[in-house]
Amino acid sequence: MGFSFELAVFGSTIAILIIMGFLLYYFAVDYRRNLLGNGNSELPKKESNAILSKMSRELSFTAFIMDDSKSIGIRYIITSLALFFIAGLAGIGMRLSLWFPNPSFLTPVQYNILLTAHGTLMLYGWAVGGILGLSYYLLPTSIRLRKDSLGVVSSIMYWMFLVGSLFIIFSRSTATWYFYYPLVDQLTASGGGTLSFGSLIGVMLILVATVVSSIIFLKMIFLDRDESIRLSNLPLFAWSIVSTAFLIIASAPVSIIADGFLIYDLINPIFFQAANGTALAYAILFWFWGHPIVYVAVIPAFGLIYELLPRFTGTKIYSYKAGVLSLLLLMVLSGTVWGHHLFNSGLGTVWDLIFSTTSFIVAVPSAMSVFNWIATMWVGRIRITVPTLFIINAIIDFIIGGVSGVMAADVGVNQLIHGTYAITAHFHFILLGLTTGMAFAAIYVLFPTLTGGRNYNIPMAKVHFYLTSIGTWVMSGFWLVGGFAGMPRRVAGYFGIFQTYQDAAAIGGVILGLGYLIFLINFLYSGSRPVETGTGNILEEEVSA
Amino acid sequence: MRKTTPLAIFVIVLLAAGGSFVWFVEQSGGSSATTIAPYNSTQVIVLYANYQGWNYNSSIPNPTLYEKTHVLLEFKVIEQDNLPHTLTINPGSNESASNYIVSVNIPAVTGTIVWVNWSFANPGIYTYWCEVHPETMVGKLVLNSTTSNTTNASVASPLPPEIADIVGYSSSIHSPYALRDANEEVW
Ligand code: HEM
Ligand code: HEM
Ligand SMILES: [Cu+2]
Repeated sequence: MGFSFELAVFGSTIAILIIMGFLLYYFAVDYRRNLLGNGNSELPKKESNAILSKMSRELSFTAFIMDDSKSIGIRYIITSLALFFIAGLAGIGMRLSLWFPNPSFLTPVQYNILLTAHGTLMLYGWAVGGILGLSYYLLPTSIRLRKDSLGVVSSIMYWMFLVGSLFIIFSRSTATWYFYYPLVDQLTASGGGTLSFGSLIGVMLILVATVVSSIIFLKMIFLDRDESIRLSNLPLFAWSIVSTAFLIIASAPVSIIADGFLIYDLINPIFFQAANGTALAYAILFWFWGHPIVYVAVIPAFGLIYELLPRFTGTKIYSYKAGVLSLLLLMVLSGTVWGHHLFNSGLGTVWDLIFSTTSFIVAVPSAMSVFNWIATMWVGRIRITVPTLFIINAIIDFIIGGVSGVMAADVGVNQLIHGTYAITAHFHFILLGLTTGMAFAAIYVLFPTLTGGRNYNIPMAKVHFYLTSIGTWVMSGFWLVGGFAGMPRRVAGYFGIFQTYQDAAAIGGVILGLGYLIFLINFLYSGSRPVETGTGNILEEEVSA
Repeated sequence: MRKTTPLAIFVIVLLAAGGSFVWFVEQSGGSSATTIAPYNSTQVIVLYANYQGWNYNSSIPNPTLYEKTHVLLEFKVIEQDNLPHTLTINPGSNESASNYIVSVNIPAVTGTIVWVNWSFANPGIYTYWCEVHPETMVGKLVLNSTTSNTTNASVASPLPPEIADIVGYSSSIHSPYALRDANEEVW
């Protein structure tokens, strides 16, 4: 047999892959041994992982091939940050295109692609991914994990999360993050419901990863925490994860099932077609998870505020018990309000009123938390640092967003503002100010640890803070006013009378974008400077590295 | 942390964001580039969307449609089988999803009627088809210029007589379909 070029290429590819695999393995083992020291690296993985996950650990791509909780956390943090910037650029693109009433540089199809990518990636990639990351990163130290035994599962779930995000990006669906039928079946230039099909698979993968990770968090908190930590002094961040995890486990599977049906529907529509009224069935299944996901995005941010505020005011949290109660009430109550997204979909007056009432009630635990924070700041002495600025801003934005949410939950007002930018404003206040703000506050707090002993540049961080804070206000504020004037959301063009609001919001969007860009530049600049401090941080005080 | 890690993350984030944005908007958005030609008369064309073929239950499935330019063609597309379909029209005699002129989704609920209106500027052969069932649901749309009748004849002549007949057949009372307007042409 003569020389075969194909065979040679094939063979050498396999050889290179094997060598690469070996190198990766070698790096991982080597990195682990360096971290653990000679004595500990002989321990079984369950125990050595527990040690690793309690060390103060820095950002490193080696985390992608290690499976202790801290490494998994680092993977999620890096990935969700990238997804945030992907989705954020899409958001700014939409805003800029809306500068003129007629669709300008984005055609309606392109606009819808960006809209879907933005909504889906922000919620599933950034909010959920970021929370998974911070939980994996912070939980082991805050509850002094005894054993870390599910590394392989966590690792597989991470890869599912990553593949899911890629599916969402590549599918270019135009169905918005609801995936309502028949929009999900809409065909665009690249052909067929295939587009939404990809996104749906992506969402399902991420949801499965989220549910399984939640179970892992519950196992960590309830079974594997150190004996010295009893439930009565469990850190509030851990309580917030308990609340979030139960919420996810109780509602996400419903959405997974609905998505499965929906994928089948794209091939052979029998479940959710409008003809027999079952389009509403999908909407109900979707919002059964669709509302909890927004609380999944805020409860851990609550937990972070609870955790950080005392450290910056020098007091204990005003009432630990009220904090726990508030987080647990949020878990229970926010499972009961999903119908407020369907006031105009024909659930019937009685149901509408029930959901309106539960939505008013869910404001109570939210307010309990807010007052708890205010009281803590009142009795203590606030140290104004960059993270405190983010915290104060988060509280204010949450109040605005929450109040506009309660207003939207009034059946009458809802008629007026449903489907307008007032709703978009309602949730951007919370998601930008609270969820995103607290995530960045946590990143700033963890900065010396994550970068292995560097401080962030404070003036740049302040510019980041002020730009994003002002940007949120300008963008969401004008949306809110325009929304009450009837400015419809989810459109690539609009009536000329709304141009003032749209243009002002576009300026807000650009300000936001600049703010986040400055964060990136700060990260690059400060991260590349010589080591100057220790690697400890106030969130993981007890840790010894 | 290694010195290169922040740079790597910075570059990865920027590339991911920029690359995804380009990927998202690379989608041309199809028909928005083309505009509808001016017209001064209209013509209704009824098409039944069936996965076995357009107008599958009529005597001539996937009929070749003969129409004129600068006439508003009002396609009345009627869903027949609960399956998702599209009405896609592109120039040339082959199916092409990338340079379509019209691409409209037909909801998968039997009996749904979708009106698709378009007026063509250029004479020639076009293909109308369904992107979900490109094998079975495909036919030709032949557009003659409004002004000259001779072109009309010359395009029609090479076709077999039974197809040429159908053009005249359109106003026949033997239509198997109930849903008809005065101005309708049932193929
Ligand atoms: C005080 C509690 C809250 C109440 C009473 C409330 C109420 C509402 C209502 C009634 C709607 C539906 C408006 C409509 O479409 O007509 C809505 C939409 C929304 N809310 Fe809230 N909300 C609350 C808190 C939150 C929180 C904490 C978040 C998290 C970030 C959030 C995120 C959203 C989102 C994302 C939507 C829009 C979903 C969409 O249509 O794309 N809400 N809210
Ligand atoms: C970087 C700053 C951001 C900008 C410039 C921005 C901009 C926008 C724009 C222009 C829309 C579309 C409005 C419409 O046409 O209805 C939108 C929708 C949305 N955004 Fe943002 N946004 C930002 C941040 C976020 C964040 C941080 C989140 C969540 C964590 C988020 C979640 C959403 C959601 C869920 C929608 C609704 C999508 C839909 O209607 O299907 N956004 N945003
Ligand atoms: Cu809700």
